Amino acid sequence: MINSLYIAWHYLVFNKLRSATLVACITLIAFLPMALQLVLTESEQMLQSRAASTPLLLGARGSALDLVMKSLYFGDEVPGIVSMQAADEITDTGLGYAIPLYLRFQARNKPIVGTNIDYFDFRKLKLAQGRMLAMLGECVIGASVADEYGLLPGDSIVSSPDTLFDLAGVYALKMNITGVLERSHTADDQAVFVDLNTAWVIEGLGHGHEDLSKTRDSSVILKRTEDNITANAKLFQYTEITEENRDGFHFHGDASIYPLTAVIAIPNDTKAATLLRGRYLENQQYRIVRPTEVIEGLLENLFRIKSVIDSVIAIVGLATVLAIILVFALSVRLRQRELTTIFKLGCSRMTAVKLIAAEIVIILSASSIISAGLLSVVLANAETLVRILIFN
Amino acid sequence: MNTIIRPFIVSLLLLASMAASAADVLTVYTVNYPLAFFAQQIGGKHIKVVLPMPPDIDPAFWEPDVMDIAGFQQADLILLNGAGYSKWLKRASLPRRKLVNTSAAFQHDYISVKQTATHRHGPGGDHSHAGTAFTTWLDLNQAIQQARAIMLALEKHRPEQTDNFRQNFTLLETELDDLDKTIRNTVAKDPEKLFLASHPVYQYLARRYNINLKSMMWEPELVPDNSQWIALQQLLGTHDAKWMMWEGEPDEQSAARLQTSGISSLVFNPCANVPDDGDFISVMKNNIMEIDKVFRR
Repeated sequence: MINSLYIAWHYLVFNKLRSATLVACITLIAFLPMALQLVLTESEQMLQSRAASTPLLLGARGSALDLVMKSLYFGDEVPGIVSMQAADEITDTGLGYAIPLYLRFQARNKPIVGTNIDYFDFRKLKLAQGRMLAMLGECVIGASVADEYGLLPGDSIVSSPDTLFDLAGVYALKMNITGVLERSHTADDQAVFVDLNTAWVIEGLGHGHEDLSKTRDSSVILKRTEDNITANAKLFQYTEITEENRDGFHFHGDASIYPLTAVIAIPNDTKAATLLRGRYLENQQYRIVRPTEVIEGLLENLFRIKSVIDSVIAIVGLATVLAIILVFALSVRLRQRELTTIFKLGCSRMTAVKLIAAEIVIILSASSIISAGLLSVVLANAETLVRILIFN
Repeated sequence: MNTIIRPFIVSLLLLASMAASAADVLTVYTVNYPLAFFAQQIGGKHIKVVLPMPPDIDPAFWEPDVMDIAGFQQADLILLNGAGYSKWLKRASLPRRKLVNTSAAFQHDYISVKQTATHRHGPGGDHSHAGTAFTTWLDLNQAIQQARAIMLALEKHRPEQTDNFRQNFTLLETELDDLDKTIRNTVAKDPEKLFLASHPVYQYLARRYNINLKSMMWEPELVPDNSQWIALQQLLGTHDAKWMMWEGEPDEQSAARLQTSGISSLVFNPCANVPDDGDFISVMKNNIMEIDKVFRR
C-alpha cells in the first residue's frame, strides 16, 4: 500500500493543476456547509443567550429587529429615538426598573454605550482592572477594545464625530478610561461604556465652557441682560472633562426629553411583565418587545435561509462528486497506455485499483486537512464573523 | 463532653446570627441632614445611615470626590432631596434603581428662583441659588411627605420590617406635625409682620407659614460690603422689616449695624447639616422659640 501511495503521490504532484483543482472542489464542498453550520450555531447561541437575559425592551415604534439588534448586540442600524421620560415612566409604575440606553456614537469604530451603572449589575459585568465610572467624562471599556488598542485604565479614548465634515455636528470628546471589564464573550466586550450624561455631552446637550460672568474676552458675549448672558459661537467649549473644568459642565433644557435609543425594562415578576407589556399595547409612540420572541423570529428566518443554502450546496456537491467521478473515469481512459505498461510489467489489475484508490485517499486527506484548518480559523473567529455577518 | 460542646455551639450560633443581622442592615446614603435624620428615625437599627459630607459644609453645594461616589454606588438606597438639590448629581454616575427622590410627591409645588449672582461662602466654592428653591423641609408638611417617601423606600427594601417602619414614621410624623402647627399658630398672631432673610433659603418656610419675607445675599460669618448695605436700604424702602432671619449666628458687627437701622437679628437654622447640638427636632424647636420671641413683641 505504501508503494501505491508513493506512486500516487508522485502522479498527483506531476499533475499539479488537476490535483489542486480536485482538492479545492472537495474542500469547498466539505467546508462550506460545516462553516455555515458553525456560524449559525454560534450566532444562535449568542443571540439566544443575550435575548434570554433581557426580559423586555422598550423603544420607538418601528422595526423590532433593529431595536433588539442595536440594544442587545450594538448593531449598526439606529432605531427611532425615545425620551428619558419613557425610562422614568417604567420605574414610576413600580412594576420593575428601567435601564436606559443611548447608542449613537462610536470611539475608534467601537460603539459608545451610554447607560447607567445598573447596566453592569444587570449584565453581571465585572471589572478586570481599574474602577467603575464615577464622574462625567469617564468610561470603562470592554475586554476586546482594551486588547485591540492596548488600552488600560488611565488612558483616554476620543469619541468619533458623526461625519468628518459636519462642523456643526457632535464634537469629539476625550474620555478618561477608568476600568477594563472582564471578558464576557458578548457584545459588551466590544463596547465603550459611559454614563448617560457623558453620552449627552457628546450629543451636545450638555457642555462646559468658561464662566461668562467672569470672562475677560468681551468678544464672546452676544447679549448681556440683568438676568442672562448670551454667548456667540466664538465661545470655546471644553473637549475634555477634567477635574478642573468638570463643575463648569452643565445641561440645557428639560432632561426628561433627552434622547435614548432604548430602555431595558426589568419587571419584578411575570405578572409585572405582563402588566408592563399591556400598558404599551395601544401606545402610538413606543413599543415594548420581548427580545426572545424577536430573536426566535430572526433565527427562524436564518434557518429557512440556511435550509435553502443547504439544498443548493447539496446539488452543487452532487454535481461536484459526479464531476470528480468523471475526472477519474476520464483519467483512467487517458492513462490506458500507462496501465497497459503496468500490466505488462506483471502487476495485477488490483494494483491499478490500489493506485487509483491511493490517489483518491490522498486527495480526500488533503481536502480534509485544509477543511479542518479553515474550520478552526472560522471557529476561532466565529464571534467576529457573526458580528460582521449578522449584527452589522 | 456536653459542657464543652454546648457553649461552643451556642457561641457559633450567636456569631452566625450577628453576622446575619449585620448583613441584613440596609446601607442608606443621604444628601443632607434632614433626610439622614428622618431615615434614622424611621429605620432605627435596621439601617445604617451615611451622610458623607464634612459637617462644616452646606450639603447643597458639596462636591463629592471619586471615593465618595464609590460609597454612593455601593449603597443599598440613596435618598435624594430633589428640587435641584445636590448639583453634583448631574456630574456623577449613580445607580438609578437605588435613587429615591423624596420630594417627588410635591414636585409640582417646587418654587422657582430667578437667576441670582454667584457667590462664595464656606469651603463649597462659588455657587448660585438660581433654578429651584431646595430647602423643602422647612415647610414641615413637605418634610412629612419626604419622611413618608423614605418610609416607603425602606419598606420596599425590607418588607419584613414594614410594621416597625410605619410605627417609627407615625412617631416622627406626630412630632413634625406638632412643630408645623406651632409655627402656624405663632405666625398667625401677626401675619403682617415683615421679615428679611440673610440668604434665599426660606422660600418654603415663608410660603407654608405666610411669612412676609424678602431675601438678601448675606452670609452670617461675613460683614456685608457697602453695596450690600445700599441694597438693603433700597429694599427697606418697599419692605420695612424690623427683623432679619439668619442661618447662623451673625457677625457681631453686622448685627450691631443692623440694630442701628432698627433691625434685630434672629437665627433660624435650616439644619441642612448635622447640628453642633441636638437633632433636627431640637433645632426646629429652637427656631420656633426664636420666632416666637418676635411674635410676642
